[in-house]
Amino acid sequence: MKGLLFMKSLLSEINKSIGKNDDLYKWSQDFGNIQVVLVGLSSLIDFPKTIQLLEGQIQTVRHSSEVIVQQLHKIGKVKSEKKEIIEAIFEGELIIFIDELGLVISIDPVPKTLNRSIESPSSDNNIQGPLSAFNEDLSTNIGLLRKEFSSVELQVSSYTFGNSQKKGLSLLYCKDQVNNKLVENVTKQVESNLDKMLYTIQDVTKMLGLPKYSLISSFNTTESPQEVYSNLVKGRVVLFLDRLPYALILPSTLWDMFAIRNDENYSFVIMIALRLLRVIGAITALVLPGLYVALVAVNPEMLRIELALSVAKTREGVPYPAFVEVILMLVILELIIEASVRLPKSIGPTVTMVGGIVLGQAAVDARLVSNLLIIILAASTIASSTIVGFQNSFTIRIFKYNTLVLASIFGVLGVFTGLFLVCAYIASKTTLGIPYLSVKGEMKSG
Amino acid sequence: MNIKKSKIYILLVMLLLLTSGCWDNRDINHRVMPVVLGVSKESEEEYKAYLQVPILQEDGIKTQIITGVGKTINEIVDKTSANLESNVDLLHIKVIVIDRAFAEEGVKDLISGIMRSREIPSKALVAICEEDMDEFFKKMSQVELSDGTALLDYFEKNAGWNPQIALTRVWHVYRSIHSYTKDVAIPIIRLGESTLIEQAGSAVIKNGAMLDEINSDETLLYNAFQGMSAHGKIEVLDEGSVLILDNGLNFASRLENELPILTLELQLEVMILEVKGDPTIEKIEKELEKLLKPRFENMITKLKDSEADILGIGQLFRKEIPRAQLKDWRSKYYPNLKFNLTVDVTIQNSGNLKEPGE
Amino acid sequence: MDKSLYVVFMYIVSHAGLILFLYPENIIASTTQGHWVPIVIEVFVHFFILTVFLKGLNYFPKQNDLITIYTSAGKIIAFLFLVPIFLYFLTSNIITVRGYSEIITIVFLSNTPLWAIMVVLLAISSYLAIKGVEAIFRTGVLIFILLFPLIIFILVISFQNVDWHYVYPLWVEDFSFFSQSSYYKSYFAIGGVFLFLGFIRASIPYKNKYVLIAATAVIPIFLLSVYIPILVFGQATASTFLYPFVLAVDSINLTWFMFDRMTMFFLLSIIIFILLFISLVLWMIVRVLSKCIAPSIKPFYLVVAVSLLIFIICLFIPSWKDVEQLFLWNTILRFYVILGVPISVVILGIKSRLEGDIK
Repeated sequence: MKGLLFMKSLLSEINKSIGKNDDLYKWSQDFGNIQVVLVGLSSLIDFPKTIQLLEGQIQTVRHSSEVIVQQLHKIGKVKSEKKEIIEAIFEGELIIFIDELGLVISIDPVPKTLNRSIESPSSDNNIQGPLSAFNEDLSTNIGLLRKEFSSVELQVSSYTFGNSQKKGLSLLYCKDQVNNKLVENVTKQVESNLDKMLYTIQDVTKMLGLPKYSLISSFNTTESPQEVYSNLVKGRVVLFLDRLPYALILPSTLWDMFAIRNDENYSFVIMIALRLLRVIGAITALVLPGLYVALVAVNPEMLRIELALSVAKTREGVPYPAFVEVILMLVILELIIEASVRLPKSIGPTVTMVGGIVLGQAAVDARLVSNLLIIILAASTIASSTIVGFQNSFTIRIFKYNTLVLASIFGVLGVFTGLFLVCAYIASKTTLGIPYLSVKGEMKSG
Repeated sequence: MNIKKSKIYILLVMLLLLTSGCWDNRDINHRVMPVVLGVSKESEEEYKAYLQVPILQEDGIKTQIITGVGKTINEIVDKTSANLESNVDLLHIKVIVIDRAFAEEGVKDLISGIMRSREIPSKALVAICEEDMDEFFKKMSQVELSDGTALLDYFEKNAGWNPQIALTRVWHVYRSIHSYTKDVAIPIIRLGESTLIEQAGSAVIKNGAMLDEINSDETLLYNAFQGMSAHGKIEVLDEGSVLILDNGLNFASRLENELPILTLELQLEVMILEVKGDPTIEKIEKELEKLLKPRFENMITKLKDSEADILGIGQLFRKEIPRAQLKDWRSKYYPNLKFNLTVDVTIQNSGNLKEPGE
Repeated sequence: MDKSLYVVFMYIVSHAGLILFLYPENIIASTTQGHWVPIVIEVFVHFFILTVFLKGLNYFPKQNDLITIYTSAGKIIAFLFLVPIFLYFLTSNIITVRGYSEIITIVFLSNTPLWAIMVVLLAISSYLAIKGVEAIFRTGVLIFILLFPLIIFILVISFQNVDWHYVYPLWVEDFSFFSQSSYYKSYFAIGGVFLFLGFIRASIPYKNKYVLIAATAVIPIFLLSVYIPILVFGQATASTFLYPFVLAVDSINLTWFMFDRMTMFFLLSIIIFILLFISLVLWMIVRVLSKCIAPSIKPFYLVVAVSLLIFIICLFIPSWKDVEQLFLWNTILRFYVILGVPISVVILGIKSRLEGDIK
């Protein structure tokens, strides 16, 4: 009797606090001789299938109510607190109220399929490589990885973050490769911050205590299980955040900008050539705009006379100094890049076309910029896109301005000192005690 | 701490940006970049400088000549800069043309000045002009199709250079002023009748002043002595003409009773181009040797008399003569040089036809 | 973990930066012939002090750096050695900053005021010095990979204008270069660098073998830096130049290269190497300061203060002549440091070993 009363009050309380949600589903059901109330969110649970499954499981038993309850105990967890129950409902669990016994059990129902199927990667394009990519579902991602890396060495630990809202985070590493100090560090940070909310990578950065103002991403992100596998074997730690369709690899290193695992699907020589190409791309993207300003404004004696004359000719009539010219065009270029990310795919080509006309033709014809500059900027933009990982190309894009500013003041000396500054910045960055510029093996032995 | 540091860094960058306005960096299109600098003596004290400037135009490049008079080259440049809408920038000077009279007087100070300043590159070529300089530069600016670098191309090894043109740069001349054992030859040019420039042999320079002259055939030997390839030069004989394919020079030097003795062997590999009549291979070889040997001997004798060691024979005796005496190479040893020359000609092939005289 | 490679790169890079700058002028001024003799003597001295120094350091446990070795030996010894080391570092930084800014204005930035160039050089190297010693060494690795091929390329093509006859006369007539002050100035190239080995022992462990390999790798740079200008211009001409090697590079003419002046690339690489050296020395100065005098002040402020001091002193040096004068004064200090430090470390090492045995 007491149980019944408790149930009633519990139900009404739940009703009071979340009953206004239209997708809250309540259903009375008889299992044999026990009356139960099923509660759950119809947006997350496939009810007909769940009930069918439940009935099937219980009716095959056809025993006394006690046996049925025992059966339910086996497949679910007993809940008693109201808060706990509400949380469980929002996590997509099915709650079974057994009035007579005053028992609340939550079980995993048949969920509605709300996830994408496994698709090919959308930002980590690759040719001639495995095409399955991570999606938003945490367990799918871990499953994908287990397929890629079927070994007892793969250690997966899961954490739930947040107070009012829960968010899953999984920490993966390869037991015999990883640097124990790194794992210790990460686990300590994770465990001491379990009450924080994680939505974005910035939250994760903050949670792990990584520098907020760093221009270089402390994580390396990837969509490809193959990539994650190779990083795990190299002794790195991988984080999966629920609803984030990519893996966060910690720590990132400089070499990640130039090398991906998929390169190894080509022959060795081609792999080396590809990576060299990316290194050249990074240096070109960094140096080229600065070098243009330096050669045009400060140190034209470095150009051969024939080149100097034709450069001077292309700049004839340009009304402002080279530095302003470059900054102007760079900003427009960055705007185009940003716009083409932002726009829907159907309008995207328009931007490219308009941008192409503005940059390629009109600006030069109007004698606003020299056409050599257009070539230089195009080359630099293309070059900065050869770098692996979108977040890394951001880094290069920002560093470019550093060399540019110094070059406008000190000419070629500025280009070189800018390069030095970038090197110094890269060299001084460490992630959880591991340098960004770590040499092979440093990660493992620590 | 981190924010603080980045703030300081940003402040520093802004400060630098602000200060960058303090000194003027002119863009390339606001600079006048002369390619050729001509120098002559206007009076005892003053130079006259000619700057050949390529001027950009819609349909190509035209040449403009700027002249100025002043006590130093830099003064002239400064004066003309003030009068022009753009700044004159000597950084791209490629050829320096010196008036013959001025060269005979001596160009030591001019060359030292160029070496001292960063402006004119030390690898600019030096030439001596036989013509009146006003006339010469006037003609240069009138030439059609000129892209302003005509004179440069004339000397450029991958463009118009020929093995009988001496290739002498400012630093060569500067070195010859200071070196104990090496002088240089500077090419002499004049206006051609059908072509723009005509080469008229080379000037023998000692201590920065022109002493003597050698003709273009002798310049070829001079170049061969420097180790430059004479490839491409055609020698005309009574029996026909041959093309020099390769050349080599072997030396052996020794000092006997303070007398320098040099044994020289000039090796030539040639190809037959044309023949008159039916001479044998041996005849052609002999003929060529007969042509070259006296030419070489005459040149060395002439140079010995002028005490200018443009061939750098003294270099070969650096091993034998101690440094303290090396200083007197030109005056004490060089005039007494004894040499023994053999010319060895090999006919490498005879073109598409079989060898004549068979 | 063994980081010998970092040390090797740093050793080569900072030596290259120092050698290719003033060293050729000093050697060419000190003797008129047989330049290899003074160079080889210098290389021997280099190896001697290096092995003595490394041997001395080996007596102490790895976590002891030069400062703790001296401070634990008593106040007088600490004063006797740390003060000269500090002063030596300070003056050599002043000379490098001032000297390199001067050549920058001479060769390619004639419009830019001297102070602005000194500000950049000091600002950038202080930034790196603040980031700490590991950052300095890692930057050294990157710089080595990026720019050293360029230096090697330039060293190779600078043989373009060589006239081998200028090698003669091969032997020196007398050893009069020992009486030339410029010969002692040339020890700047070896005097400045090796001391860092005593400072980094705790943070960047290295093997002595690799240091000696690095020192061997530097020998060709010593020889080439002097012999390339000699072979291109000859002794008589080369001795009239302030920077013979720079002018020798300036005479290179490459028709296929898209840039005109090789000198710029060469000089800029050297300047970048020197930036590394300046930041390393700055770091060492601050290390001495913070360990002995002001342990409470954060290194950040010390670096800023020291570089400000250097900047102000540099501003007060009006001409190249005064730089030379400072260079000469620095020579006395230099010999005290490069001979005194290794020998004293060996003596202290043997002493501590003996005391350890007794205990």
